[in-house]
Amino acid sequence: MANTQTMTAEMPMTETPKFLSGAQAIMQCLVENNVKTIFGYPGGAIMPTYDALYDYQDRIKHILVRHEQGAGHAAQGYARMTGRAGVAMVTSGPGATNLMTPIADALLDSTPMVCLVGQVKANLLGTDAFQECDIIGMSMPVTKWNYQITDADEIPEIMAKAFYIAESGRPGPVLLDITRTAQADIMTKPFVYKPCDEIVSYRPRYIPKQSQVEEAAKLINAAKKPYIFAGHGILIAKAEAELDEFARKTDIPVATTLLGMSALPHNHPNYIGWLGMHGNYGANVLTDEADLIIAIGMRFDDRVTGDLAKFITQAKVIHIDIDPAEINKNIIANAPVVGDAKEALKALLPLVKERKHTEWIAEFKKYDEIEFEKVSKRDLFHDGDQIKMGEAVAMLSKKTKGEAVTVTDVGQHQMIVNRYYEYMKPNSLVTSGGAGTMGFALPAAFGAKVGAPDREVIALIGDGGFQMTIQELGTIAQSGLPVKIIILNNNFLGMVRQWQQLFFDKRYSFVELQNPDFIMISKGFGIDAHKVSDRAELSVALDKMLAATTPYLLEIVCEKEENVFPMVPSGGSVASIRLE
Amino acid sequence: MCVFRTTKIEYRITHIENRTSKNPNIKYRIPNNEIMTTYTLSIFTTNTIGLLNRITIIFTRRRLNIESLTVCETERKNVSRFTIVMRHESRDTVEKLVRQIRKVVDVLAVFGYLDHEIVFNEIALFKLATPLGGTALNIKEINLDWNAKVVHWGLDYVVIEKNGTEVEIAEFYQYMKNWEILEYLKSGRVAVGKTEKGLVEYLPESDWETV
Repeated sequence: MANTQTMTAEMPMTETPKFLSGAQAIMQCLVENNVKTIFGYPGGAIMPTYDALYDYQDRIKHILVRHEQGAGHAAQGYARMTGRAGVAMVTSGPGATNLMTPIADALLDSTPMVCLVGQVKANLLGTDAFQECDIIGMSMPVTKWNYQITDADEIPEIMAKAFYIAESGRPGPVLLDITRTAQADIMTKPFVYKPCDEIVSYRPRYIPKQSQVEEAAKLINAAKKPYIFAGHGILIAKAEAELDEFARKTDIPVATTLLGMSALPHNHPNYIGWLGMHGNYGANVLTDEADLIIAIGMRFDDRVTGDLAKFITQAKVIHIDIDPAEINKNIIANAPVVGDAKEALKALLPLVKERKHTEWIAEFKKYDEIEFEKVSKRDLFHDGDQIKMGEAVAMLSKKTKGEAVTVTDVGQHQMIVNRYYEYMKPNSLVTSGGAGTMGFALPAAFGAKVGAPDREVIALIGDGGFQMTIQELGTIAQSGLPVKIIILNNNFLGMVRQWQQLFFDKRYSFVELQNPDFIMISKGFGIDAHKVSDRAELSVALDKMLAATTPYLLEIVCEKEENVFPMVPSGGSVASIRLE
Repeated sequence: MCVFRTTKIEYRITHIENRTSKNPNIKYRIPNNEIMTTYTLSIFTTNTIGLLNRITIIFTRRRLNIESLTVCETERKNVSRFTIVMRHESRDTVEKLVRQIRKVVDVLAVFGYLDHEIVFNEIALFKLATPLGGTALNIKEINLDWNAKVVHWGLDYVVIEKNGTEVEIAEFYQYMKNWEILEYLKSGRVAVGKTEKGLVEYLPESDWETV
């Protein structure tokens, strides 16, 4: 929301200041926090800070997005790769409101993010000034913490607090609403940055209580059919190695949630699939047979549980989560363990007995065979004319050895990627889970690439979601980040169409798209692009895309009316899962 | 501990302890719904702008109604105390709500109480018309039987203050109806737990300067 109307109001400082300006203090805080890249979009109320950034270009790289939503999602992508807060910087009013969607997304998916938002001068607050908006009020329900800065002197302390709150405990988005006054004013004292490591009213518990751990261990040792649900908390806590060790020692089958994907490599002997509405057949159905559920860093979302009244009613539950508010929220836990997933697993390891659950794990394999016959075979070995999303993803998985970072949007393709991409490396999926934000993938992908420059980052996007943030192709072209983009194009808002087919009598209400020529658009932005619609050419096209050292877009024309199965009907019990 | 016990204070204490209605025919203005339980939440927070909003949206998002809300300072510097009264049929819902409030970064502590676990009171003010020739006020009865007092004498009106529980105030309201009530208003509940613990237990003086 560039605006030059208010530019003349504050000219660059004329005299050499004794102390830093608020804007310089913000930059200095970013440097102190070891922030190397920020994503943003300038505008009137944040201009003093952009002016300060001009002098910090050698230390802080700024990626200019094409829409503030893109800055937010990019910051999320960065955060998901690094575990550190992604920083988005935008102006007041519409700049800030455009950031609301990523903030809400980050809250639901526990993604650390610090949003620096400009605000009108302090004396104009509440006057309906140009581009004024009560962003503190608006962002309150979707931020972990927010704060309005009106005094330059507050900046070092508040910035330190913001990063600490965003990154610690259960991570989340923090918004700082920085008035132009605070940015432009000169501090009245020397800049001193002290990292925040304690807030008296906020003390996340990392190390679990020993009594809770012992109680949990007792249940684990007594269980006959224990079952681990591994969630995003494993990835956030970087507890993949501990989970691996724990699963091997106890020989308990492990399923992941959507966001817990890649917590264990897919060839791990204990990995049995993923949970949820479009998860694996056995992974879902056998929740009804387990006698103990060990839920680690997951929150029993309705997309995992289906009908809560019929979910795991026979099993005891150990719920490990760093957020006490999650305990007993949806599922009553027999043994709650409040703490960090890594610390909890470390504490549990010496207390649990070495066991073998060969038969129990074999049960999952039986269901896998049924699922393969009824679903996967149809998706992967299909002799129809058109390419199926599943086969494209499976081929990509094979060609990348399951080691790429996949960034998905929301919809059918998202479920298909999770079904057929065989993750071998931890932290390899960036997706919008809780919020289900279409348009997430493209900006999140270049954010992820900034966070993990050494990894292959591939965005997989549907034709609908792609058009929600299509303008970010400009950002990718300008930054030159070698992000690979795959559009799985079926000319439909596929997931909605699937629901309309299955639950609304095939009344396809506004789900068919007249799409633009994606190749021409991509080339127009300066990104090399290629379209493939023939199965025989798919392999070569993927090779070419993977070989590219620059950003590259591959459009794969897919079968139009493809459905994603298995599927637990919304509100149904997991046992009512459909395979066709 | 109160060392001096005048008759008046003793009367007041017995009056609060004896919460039963003096007149069984009185209809309470408060819906006496047996399924609903009254919960009193004591929330201690740092004194931050906007925190009231952050707490109330937790209620509105879950379609929970706040019966009364009182915010005040405490004996600790920069610590505010919210007293929120709500009615709900499910204790589980209230417990979840408490956990969500605890999650707010600036919230120090949250306690949920049932009525028998707390000492609580409200203040009601009645503005009564006392025109020439009208029924005279029985000040003795108001003072001694109802434990209320006239706090302001106007030319042809008085303002009477009554402290007590919702029930007591409702009863007094019925009595006040013998005169013309020009205005009636009531504060939210203030409540303190019936435990020996003070604020010091969860907000140690080492962390929090006393006022």
